[in-house]
Amino acid sequence: MTPPDAVAIEPLVPDRATAVGPSRPRPPARGPLATSRKYYKIFRVSLVERMTYRGDFLLGTLLRFLPMVTTILLWRAVYIGSGSTDLAGFRYREMVAYLLLTHISRMFSSMPNLASGIARDIREGTLKRYLIQPIDMIGYLLSYRVAHKAAYIATSIIPYGLLFFACRSFFDGLPGPATLAAYAASLVLSFLVGFFFEASVGMVGFWFLEVTSLLYIVMTLNYFISGQMLPLDLLPTPWSGLLKALPFQYLAYFPAVVFLGKVRGTDLVHGLLGALFWAVFFLLLARGLYRVGLRRYSAYGG
Amino acid sequence: MSRLARYFRLLGSLARYTLGREMAFRSNFLVRVSVEVLWLGILIAFYRTVFARTRSIAGWPEEHYFFFVGCFFALNGLIETFFLDNCNEFAELVRTGDLDFLLLKPIDEQFLISFRRIDFGTAPNVLMGAVLMAVALVRMGWHFDPVRVGVFLVTFACGTAIAYSFMLLLTSLSVWMVRNQSLMEMWWLFSSLARYPREVFQGVAWAEPLGRLFTFVLPILLVVNVPAGAMVRVLDPGMVAFTLAATAALLWASRRFFQRALRSYRSASS
Repeated sequence: MTPPDAVAIEPLVPDRATAVGPSRPRPPARGPLATSRKYYKIFRVSLVERMTYRGDFLLGTLLRFLPMVTTILLWRAVYIGSGSTDLAGFRYREMVAYLLLTHISRMFSSMPNLASGIARDIREGTLKRYLIQPIDMIGYLLSYRVAHKAAYIATSIIPYGLLFFACRSFFDGLPGPATLAAYAASLVLSFLVGFFFEASVGMVGFWFLEVTSLLYIVMTLNYFISGQMLPLDLLPTPWSGLLKALPFQYLAYFPAVVFLGKVRGTDLVHGLLGALFWAVFFLLLARGLYRVGLRRYSAYGG
Repeated sequence: MSRLARYFRLLGSLARYTLGREMAFRSNFLVRVSVEVLWLGILIAFYRTVFARTRSIAGWPEEHYFFFVGCFFALNGLIETFFLDNCNEFAELVRTGDLDFLLLKPIDEQFLISFRRIDFGTAPNVLMGAVLMAVALVRMGWHFDPVRVGVFLVTFACGTAIAYSFMLLLTSLSVWMVRNQSLMEMWWLFSSLARYPREVFQGVAWAEPLGRLFTFVLPILLVVNVPAGAMVRVLDPGMVAFTLAATAALLWASRRFFQRALRSYRSASS
């Protein structure tokens, strides 16, 4: 359910981004401006690379609508079968709106190939390019990811716009500006939680050679516990509370319920702070694991 | 006949070879199987949650519905075991030009590309689906009926063949698109049509034509619906006959399309 993303692209970019001149070697420029220029160039090159294979991308986007159609029909049948208009506080229209909105959440929070890429860099020894070049691995990966997300979201605006237009009857128009602002914040936070969480999982590769299997388990579980299949409120009591205490709800469930106006006032503030907490938590975890892991790292490969 | 026997022998050798490879990494195999168990657990949790709030979905009561889910899981397991990995690799073979080596082999190209690697990691899914189906049958108090079992087995095979044909059609596209790395994902998206009962399309003005399209023109809805329906709902001979005809037509069409695609293949590298 994740967007098609690049599989194995050797980032030649750091070389180009940091080279200053062909003849006279100069010490690389320093300071915040030079740093941001460096990461901006990574962003641009990644963007160009992302737009190369468009046919694949278009077919994928077209097919992506099919599960939404069947999901809408399934839930319609569920509501008819139950004979009630309200399931755990969700009316039929809200349920469909919720499930559509989780796709927007996942547009921001899904990180295909991030953890497996880090683990591969560690296993094959290619990680050392981050050690010998004046570039921070997590910073590089973050710029790269932001570019891919930007390209993905920009190219998805038309198909998703059409979809949401076709499904506009499931929504009660746009929420107020305050809710919209909170929604935007929750999406940015869902990106950050998703990024740093997966980066942390990838860092496990310092200790285990093979993390793809771990990753499969995490991704499979995540599909359910982040609320992509149904709103967490529908689950029986101990479970819904438990899952809402975990960071995974911020990857899909939380932004969607924010948009629907189901979380308001102090709950909303608490929710956003919770997302921020988990983003910082995983940022520190990823950094910590990286630093400790580097001591074990033995730079295999030529 | 000896030709057919030769292909069966080849299939046996390929299966032995891939099983040997798989067993070289036993813990990886176990993890992969546990992912599948986890996924089935998630599906069951999802439908238990839904059925805690409704008595039936589109006319399928809980036990009948779980039979449907088991049927889908088993059939999908069969597809993933035999075809998904192979078809998924096809785009890469085209891109790198390694397809040349397969085309040079003195056997049918479609056979080799479809069955090259058997993925034993998803083979237990067939068993898990069967267990789920059996549990559902016991819980609904199903009476043994050999006709239904026979029809179920035949239409189950037809469903697998239909799904395979669609996958082959999608795979063949990568000859022109070169990068078709998301076939796995595209398959997941396309097969989502087969995941729910056909009846969910009924009673909605905009969905009924879609339901008919995916039943009679692109018959992906037949894949699980017909075998599951034949077993636990009314046995509809017309639908079964149509499924048989559709299977034959699709197998033929997908083979033609695949060969057409191969003719457009322009190798790569030197």
